[in-house]
Amino acid sequence: MQTIKRDLVIIGGGPAGLAAAVSARKSGLDDILLIERDRILGGILNQCIHDGFGLHTFKEALTGPEYAQRFINEFQSLGIEAMLETIVLSLDKDRALTVSSKKGFLKIQAGAVILAMGCRERTAGAISLPGTRPSGVYTAGAAQNFVNLQNIMIGKHIVILGSGDIGLIMARRMTLEGAKVEAVFELLPTPSGLARNVQQCLNDYNIPLFLSTSVFELHGKDRLTGVTVATVDERFQMIPETRRFVPCDTLLLSVGLIPENELSLNAGVRLEPATSGASVDDQFMTSSPGIFSCGNVLHVHDLVDHVSEEAALVGRSVVDFLSGRTLSTLPARIPMVTGKDVRYVLPQNISGKEDVTLSLRVTRPMRNASVLVTDRGRKVARKKLIRLHPAEMIRIKVKAKDIETAEKLEVSVQ
Amino acid sequence: MKKKNLVCIVCPNGCDAEVLMEDGSEIKILSIDGCTCDKGKEWVEQELTHPMRTIASGIPVEQGDFKLVSVRTDAPIPLGKIFDVMTVIKRRRVKAPVNIGDILVPNPAGTACNIIATRNVKFTE
Amino acid sequence: MENQYDVIVIGAGVVGNAIARELSKTCVSIAVIEKELDVSMGTSSRNSGVIHSGIHYKPGTLRATLNVLGNSLMADLCQDLKVKIDYIGKLTVAQDEEEVKSLYMLKDQGETNGVPGLAILDPDAMGKIQPNVGGIKALHSPSTGIICPYSFTIALAENAHANGCRFYLGHEVTSIQKKDGRFEIEAGGKKLTSRILINSAGLYSAEICRMLGINEYTIYPCRGEYLILDKRLKGALNLLVYPAPHVGKAGLGIHLTNTVSGNILIGPSNEYRQDPEDYACTADIMARLRKEGHILLPELKTTDFIRSFSGLRPKQTPPEIGGFKDFVIESREDVKGFINLVGIESPGLTSSPAIALMIRDMVEKLLPLTPKTDFNGRRSGMAGHFHELSDEEKADLVAQNPDYGEVVCRCEQITKKEVLDAIENPLGVRTINSIKYRSRAMMGRCQGGFCLPRIVQILEKEFGYRPEDYLLKNRTSPLFFGKMRQDIK
Repeated sequence: MQTIKRDLVIIGGGPAGLAAAVSARKSGLDDILLIERDRILGGILNQCIHDGFGLHTFKEALTGPEYAQRFINEFQSLGIEAMLETIVLSLDKDRALTVSSKKGFLKIQAGAVILAMGCRERTAGAISLPGTRPSGVYTAGAAQNFVNLQNIMIGKHIVILGSGDIGLIMARRMTLEGAKVEAVFELLPTPSGLARNVQQCLNDYNIPLFLSTSVFELHGKDRLTGVTVATVDERFQMIPETRRFVPCDTLLLSVGLIPENELSLNAGVRLEPATSGASVDDQFMTSSPGIFSCGNVLHVHDLVDHVSEEAALVGRSVVDFLSGRTLSTLPARIPMVTGKDVRYVLPQNISGKEDVTLSLRVTRPMRNASVLVTDRGRKVARKKLIRLHPAEMIRIKVKAKDIETAEKLEVSVQ
Repeated sequence: MKKKNLVCIVCPNGCDAEVLMEDGSEIKILSIDGCTCDKGKEWVEQELTHPMRTIASGIPVEQGDFKLVSVRTDAPIPLGKIFDVMTVIKRRRVKAPVNIGDILVPNPAGTACNIIATRNVKFTE
Repeated sequence: MENQYDVIVIGAGVVGNAIARELSKTCVSIAVIEKELDVSMGTSSRNSGVIHSGIHYKPGTLRATLNVLGNSLMADLCQDLKVKIDYIGKLTVAQDEEEVKSLYMLKDQGETNGVPGLAILDPDAMGKIQPNVGGIKALHSPSTGIICPYSFTIALAENAHANGCRFYLGHEVTSIQKKDGRFEIEAGGKKLTSRILINSAGLYSAEICRMLGINEYTIYPCRGEYLILDKRLKGALNLLVYPAPHVGKAGLGIHLTNTVSGNILIGPSNEYRQDPEDYACTADIMARLRKEGHILLPELKTTDFIRSFSGLRPKQTPPEIGGFKDFVIESREDVKGFINLVGIESPGLTSSPAIALMIRDMVEKLLPLTPKTDFNGRRSGMAGHFHELSDEEKADLVAQNPDYGEVVCRCEQITKKEVLDAIENPLGVRTINSIKYRSRAMMGRCQGGFCLPRIVQILEKEFGYRPEDYLLKNRTSPLFFGKMRQDIK
């Protein structure tokens, strides 16, 4: 079997992979290979035809394909090598990859690897949805693919479980195409998607959103005929007397995204339970030296702009790593820990020698509170926010000069 | 005096705006609270007088490397006109090639916007 | 003559197909009639996939005899059919002295039945076979194996088909008449006739009997629910571990079962249902299975549950009686030529090759059977999947056929070639489930979220499918409602 060598191999040609490749090239790295399993670059953005992408990066509201195309244009104008319709079958901790395509099998030895594989959707099976197994039950993302890329009408009477952004976007999309979206049901007491999407995808079209309500049974042996829904109490237990039947022919699930880290695990990359993504330092390097991670495979983002920004940083970090600067000068010696009301914070370890932007999510909606970063009780950084919501990633900058002597940083909400 | 709460849709921050207005059928805004940017305030004013939205959809392409070219309005349209514009979009068919930004329908349903392509679709045999 | 056969088998489950394949070794003309669009759509695909050793059945019963014989026939049969089988063995574990007694009872019973290699192990020896297994003693049965039940059933059908057996899929039997020594069967709007009729209709076997005026049987469907676990946990179990039997319980108790594909199953439950197709999964039982799973597998995470399913056992005993009744396998005197199989529940899968031999003998008493000289019992292709091959073997295959290089289902690493083979299966079945059961695509942790759109594309591009052509499992389970935008001239 043929073996080739590359300084940098990027796995995944979605927004994270593209931005990382462009940034690494601009930082002076020549020998880059990006591997994408689809026939086109752009990843999931290709099916996200709604607008709202790029407000931070380009200061305009673009659709997914337009946002992707800007990066693809840059990627191509820089002449970066991409292998399309190619899948990575394995990656080991020494950064040896096996890839497969119609052209055959190939082994690649990489100097550094960037994991940018994105995430997958939680399924009906994953949430053990009771009832029958009829046709007409789709994850929102698969439905989006059928509708937006394949010109297929997936259903006429639609119920959506979960108020994640893709579910909300699909509620509007299907309504515009003439389907009747009966309702969106959300187990949690607050919507999981962005507030603006609740407004412009549901409220604008009078689609009801029922919070603290979930689907408890699927009906129909062949095609879905309806779902039983019920309200839940504060411990998420069904309140039996609230059970009701909602007729529908289609159920879309928008119940969460899971970083796609099966390759990472085989490469010995340590994962964080809170994010299901790799544990990384402030260079976004994982526990396996030379293997980096960014985008939704690292932690699920709500804005692609943040993915691009994070990936650009990783592109630069890799160049530093390959030139031998990182490990000697930037040991990630300061652990980051979560305090009150913080679900996760990333990176999980930092060097303290460079400014760093922390990404975090809170555990519950709050108002008029501050995110606080402390070192043994000493305040290092603080960000005041009017609204804090688990659906919205919060970013806070920490300056190197404030953490040079830090031992452990705790992030909490006060 | 009456109060109205709105969720701003200008950007993903989704600010909660609280608007105080004079009583009566005509809309007279007294104050806007909760917006964190000027664009948001402008949007709130507009939302109360004549709400505007952008929409996205798809148009079938003949002989393209994609079946559909994704499209959007290049400027906001009145909220009440969305389904009229969709009717126009649903009737339209195009031939490959199509490039991002191509105007596929000018001024649909009499609105002051164009339906533009948001994906490059190459010609295939 | 069109629609006229020597032998017709009703029901394309594992038993019906095993019979059809056995008879296809002879010169009789055979057809299998099945109401579903594919074979293996009932009990045969909805079970643990365990090839039992035969320790659990009373000596002298059909279940005991056919199980032990079936088990011994499986190895060669699976090799011929290119079906993966793994004799991983089983530990039946006793927690107290009372249960130890039942282990010795099982061992005696098994030995009387002819089960090879049985041994009672102490905790030391148990630990060597399976670390961290609790209990004070265990019965080890090395001949217990695992198999993919639908792969096996499909393989039997395809091989029978290759040897001349005709399949009428999607043909529900609506009436049977006996006229002038022949059976006239109406099924799916067709009239078929045969000299010998074999009832292998599983959950519907009593109903078929009634069509011929035989009213002495009743089937009580008994549902078992299972959860399927992520392959991440592969290797947590070296062999099957069952609790020792408790008095008065019908099933074998909830336990973990390895599958040949590397997933672990938790189940089954045990609950009588009215409807012979009530394949629902219930909140209560799934919660119970999850709980048991966490006890049996401490490293289990909530994200490890990838799907649930249920199956129905065709029991002959009502809930108030419970327990087991022996298989009914009879050549009817009152309806000459009618060979009747009723209540073939567990161990039906294991017994199926032996049942087929028994039926062949019964047929031979009614009809002279001459061996077919050109019978070919071997299927082409590979046992298992492309991704299980070595890198060198894979590289060779990709060089021969580039479709092996394209991975369609990333979770299960199923290639486009394997998906195409599944689409172009010899029986001509084209449902999404038929592709799934044949290729394993869509069976992984993302449950088709990624590959179903790609398979839909393949069917459109290479087989001319329109959106309304896609069916999940039967004609009334469409995937889609046509095109979003219709073509305009």
